[in-house]
Amino acid sequence: MTLFRLECKTHCKTLLIWMIVVGILTLGLVSLFPAMKDMGLDQMKAMPKDMMKAFNLSDLGMLTTIKGYFGYEYQYVMLATGIFAAMLGTNALSREESEGTISYLFSQPISRIAIVGEKMLCNTVLYTLYWLVSMAIAYLVCLMFKETGASVSDLFDGFTQLTFAGWVMGLTFLSVGFLLSAFLSSNKSATSLSLGLVFLTFILGVVGKMNNDFKGLLYASPVDAALPSTIFKSGIEWNYIVTDLVVIVVAGLLTFWIYRRKDLNV
Amino acid sequence: MPVIELSHISKRFGKFVAVNDVSFTVEKGEFFGFIGPNGAGKSTTMNMMLNFIKSSGGKIKLLGKNVPEHDLDVKKQIGYVPSDVRFYPQLRVRDLFRYTLDFHHMEGDPAELKRYCDLFQIDPQKKFGDLSLGNKKKVALVCALIHHPELIIMDEPTNGLDPLIHARLFRVLKEKQEQGVTIFLSSHNLKEVEDYCSRIAFIRSGKLIGVEDLTQVNQNVKVVTVKADQLPIAVMEKIGATCVKKTDHEARFTYEGNMAQLFSTLSNLSPQLDDVTVANRDLEEQFMAMYERQEGERL
Repeated sequence: MTLFRLECKTHCKTLLIWMIVVGILTLGLVSLFPAMKDMGLDQMKAMPKDMMKAFNLSDLGMLTTIKGYFGYEYQYVMLATGIFAAMLGTNALSREESEGTISYLFSQPISRIAIVGEKMLCNTVLYTLYWLVSMAIAYLVCLMFKETGASVSDLFDGFTQLTFAGWVMGLTFLSVGFLLSAFLSSNKSATSLSLGLVFLTFILGVVGKMNNDFKGLLYASPVDAALPSTIFKSGIEWNYIVTDLVVIVVAGLLTFWIYRRKDLNV
Repeated sequence: MPVIELSHISKRFGKFVAVNDVSFTVEKGEFFGFIGPNGAGKSTTMNMMLNFIKSSGGKIKLLGKNVPEHDLDVKKQIGYVPSDVRFYPQLRVRDLFRYTLDFHHMEGDPAELKRYCDLFQIDPQKKFGDLSLGNKKKVALVCALIHHPELIIMDEPTNGLDPLIHARLFRVLKEKQEQGVTIFLSSHNLKEVEDYCSRIAFIRSGKLIGVEDLTQVNQNVKVVTVKADQLPIAVMEKIGATCVKKTDHEARFTYEGNMAQLFSTLSNLSPQLDDVTVANRDLEEQFMAMYERQEGERL
């Protein structure tokens, strides 16, 4: 597990930065809730229905509760989380080739399977850690700013489900990122690919929500499988989660298969 | 049993043939040189040996085991120094040593590590990214040595090293060789190859030009340089010398024959010569001669 430790050490600073930024962002967003719930929502009612649907705002009444407000605002943090996970994945293997460290790593007695395996394990642990801390901060912040009468156990149930769905969402982006990383021999395009991956799938989800004929596109959007507003309202939609799990397994296996056969750029 | 056994290996990148049907063997305890101009296929060959890239054909055996099938077993016994040393910049040197030993499941000997650090003047507390090119090379050398490999593969190991460290490195490598370690050295520095290697392989345009025993070849071939107003080219060629370079008043010949005949001819010619020198042919001259011969065949 030497590479696991090496990888953890390499990423610990990035992980810390992301956790602090997301923590501050969550605090900032949720702290606005008391002021927001007292504001009139009439202006928002003027928005076209389809657009409100696309932005997951179809039930404006929900915005006056902490769950509804958090569920709407946090979807953007979910996007950032998706980008973080995708970046971890797309950089994981390609960075070694891009920065030339592969010549050190690959001259050590470690197989390609072990390189992919230990990196996957490490990045899964890092992402899990990031997500658990982010969720813990979000839960505590929501408890601090919740409206009077809001049920703590109800909030806890919602957060438990969101933690699981968001974890699966991140792992989906992580595994697809890993697959891309197995093809890339440079990490120069890793950030743009990660952004592209998350936004493209999100837009597919938006199209799926706006037009019933394209509802199937929602399956291509991991963010939609973990939308806080949907989860708080109707719980986990398992068909999306199962789709994500299939993507994780297929992308993971393909990564091993491709990387074993790859000519490394040294 | 050879420690390195390449048989008919080749590598194609699309239509481009980077390495073409290369075969040679290196025996245990040899100090073997691998030379060739830029883009000759040296690094590609080494990359195939280390399984960084897959060969398009042929077989590679290191330490008696097939690569890539037994890649992991083989790498436990290999130390590698890349030409472009780019290790993890955020790590301290001591951490790099620790990780290297951990990869080999070894505890390591602190006294030995200290000896290497002192010998190569390495500060283990420094971050790798803050080191100069030469110091990075030294760290790579120590990483290649600390797990006591049976085979050390080095790609341009002395680039960026000062003469003192250069000498110390080769002293350590000689020690290792005496302990039975096989050393495979790829270098542009023909002088160091000539000084330390017992055999060499020449490669050019992906093709192996030849494998030469330096202990034999340099003693057999002489380089004769004569200075005169009238150069005795015809006379020299008559005894089997080959004119390799000629200016108005100076000619250089290679000669591989009877020394008595050579000295007798030079003695007869002495009244018309201004100066004459006879020396062993050095590797650079041999290298150039081989390349010129190849170039001639190509043209």
